[in-house]
Amino acid sequence: MKNFIEVTELKKVFGNGEDEVHAFGPATININSGEFVSVLGPSGCGKSTLMLMVAGLLDSTSGKVEFENKVVSGPKTDIGIMFQDNTLVPWRTVRGNIELQLELRGLNLKDYQEKINNILKSVNLDDFADRFPNELSGGMQQRAAFCQAMIHDPKIILLDEPLGKLDAMTREKIRADFQKLWMVKKPTVIFVTHSIEEAVQLSNRVILITPRPGKIDREIKIDLPYPRDLQIKRSAKFTEYVNSIQEVFHKYGVI
Amino acid sequence: MKKFIKWIASGWMLILFFVGFFLFWEYSIPLFDIPRYILPSPSEIVLKGSADLDKLVYYTGVTALETVLGYIIALILGVGFGIAISFSSILRRTLYPFFVSIEMTPKIAFAPLFISWFGFGLMPKVIIVVLVCFFPIVLNAILAFNSLSNELTLFYQSTGASRLKTFFSIRLPAALPQCFVGFKYAAINATVGATIAEFIGSDKGLGFYISIVTGNMRPDLAFAGIFFLTVLGLTIFGFVTMMEKILIPWHISMKRINK
Ligand SMILES: Nc1ncnc2c1ncn2[C@@H]1O[C@H](COP(=O)(O)OP(=O)(O)OP(=O)(O)O)[C@@H](O)[C@H]1O
Ligand SMILES: [Mg+2]
Repeated sequence: MKNFIEVTELKKVFGNGEDEVHAFGPATININSGEFVSVLGPSGCGKSTLMLMVAGLLDSTSGKVEFENKVVSGPKTDIGIMFQDNTLVPWRTVRGNIELQLELRGLNLKDYQEKINNILKSVNLDDFADRFPNELSGGMQQRAAFCQAMIHDPKIILLDEPLGKLDAMTREKIRADFQKLWMVKKPTVIFVTHSIEEAVQLSNRVILITPRPGKIDREIKIDLPYPRDLQIKRSAKFTEYVNSIQEVFHKYGVI
Repeated sequence: MKKFIKWIASGWMLILFFVGFFLFWEYSIPLFDIPRYILPSPSEIVLKGSADLDKLVYYTGVTALETVLGYIIALILGVGFGIAISFSSILRRTLYPFFVSIEMTPKIAFAPLFISWFGFGLMPKVIIVVLVCFFPIVLNAILAFNSLSNELTLFYQSTGASRLKTFFSIRLPAALPQCFVGFKYAAINATVGATIAEFIGSDKGLGFYISIVTGNMRPDLAFAGIFFLTVLGLTIFGFVTMMEKILIPWHISMKRINK
């Protein structure tokens, strides 16, 4: 049987001639429905590039991306995507920005008010629903952007360092909340991150990418029970996973 | 009232400067023995100007009509062409470089030609105002509609929203701040265009008035005309600035200044 998402020999080269930058691949990745996969790699290895190609927002140089046997040839609209730089618009409040996602998709705002309140509460932004993005800190903006990306309940979620700008404590909390959400709704998640610990805590599988041009160094299946709470994070097995990943990147001289 | 006090408190240095400036002007005339046909004192300008008030007010109306009409036409054409050029790659390669190169020529140099083609009436003045206002508006509009961030472009693509919806929800509001840069610049140009057009050929309006009274050795009246011209210019600029505050209150650069 074919996999839910199949990335086959996918490669991206930007520019041409002297300005050519080989950004990613070729790489092959298969992802099952409902799986949580993290993509881990050094800065500039092509993680964002990979994500954009999977979302159909960037043409590949060669290779293909398939969702349920259908080749992606244009922007995929049945996904939730969060970019590395947030997509909040300065002329709308936090609530307005979340509603923008719904409006653009032609969904009924009234049906979602309750949900907006809940998701804002879950990231501790309920007091800031009517504030504008420039009145928020960088971390708060990122949390608002997270809500914006998730509000329409996507079955496929692509996140590019969604927690990058957050402080350690908030980060921990959102990880836990996100894990809970994933356990309940079982969306398929591709999660780009710089944090090894975060990848191990959240994922079924971690994909390690080599320095640019990013190829797959190896995939590590994380065999730990969910929910992965503090206790599991303190376990020997967890530490073992973290250490083994650290060793791989140590080998490349990136840590 | 509270606002007014706050305004005085924050602007007292400027007010002091203006008061000092006019006092210096007033008293340096007798002090340095400057003849009144060279430079009249402020009090004389007020006195003589108010005797000619009817004419000044009427001419202000004439010039205001030319300016506002030309400005509005330029606004509609400028934003229209700006959007068209931003969304059409053919226009971007033809009309856009054409506009950029015309921008380099001083538009006001066409004024005598337009007067000779279209006569002394309202139309040539309006055309000249349109000409001086159109280019800053259209060039800023093109810049505005082309500078949407990469992330926002990808974001709306991933929602599958129609182009029309995207335009009104994202592209238009995102473009407004840069558009207003052009609107404001054009607002400053507008009265200049109308005045020069009137200098060159007209039988009414503030530009006409100033050139006639200057010829009659009446700098006091010329200054009165300049005063009304300044008020007209400030009113138009003030209106555009007010519209900016109403339409894009979220605009950060403005918020910083307000703080
Ligand atoms: N639009 C583009 N044009 C040219 N080169 C690009 C473009 N986008 C990315 N690149 C190049 O491709 C390479 C990979 O970029 P990418 O953003 O995918 O890295 P990344 O793994 O996401 O890095 P980071 O962890 O820092 O976000 C980089 O060397 C970058 O310079
Ligand atoms: Mg990146």
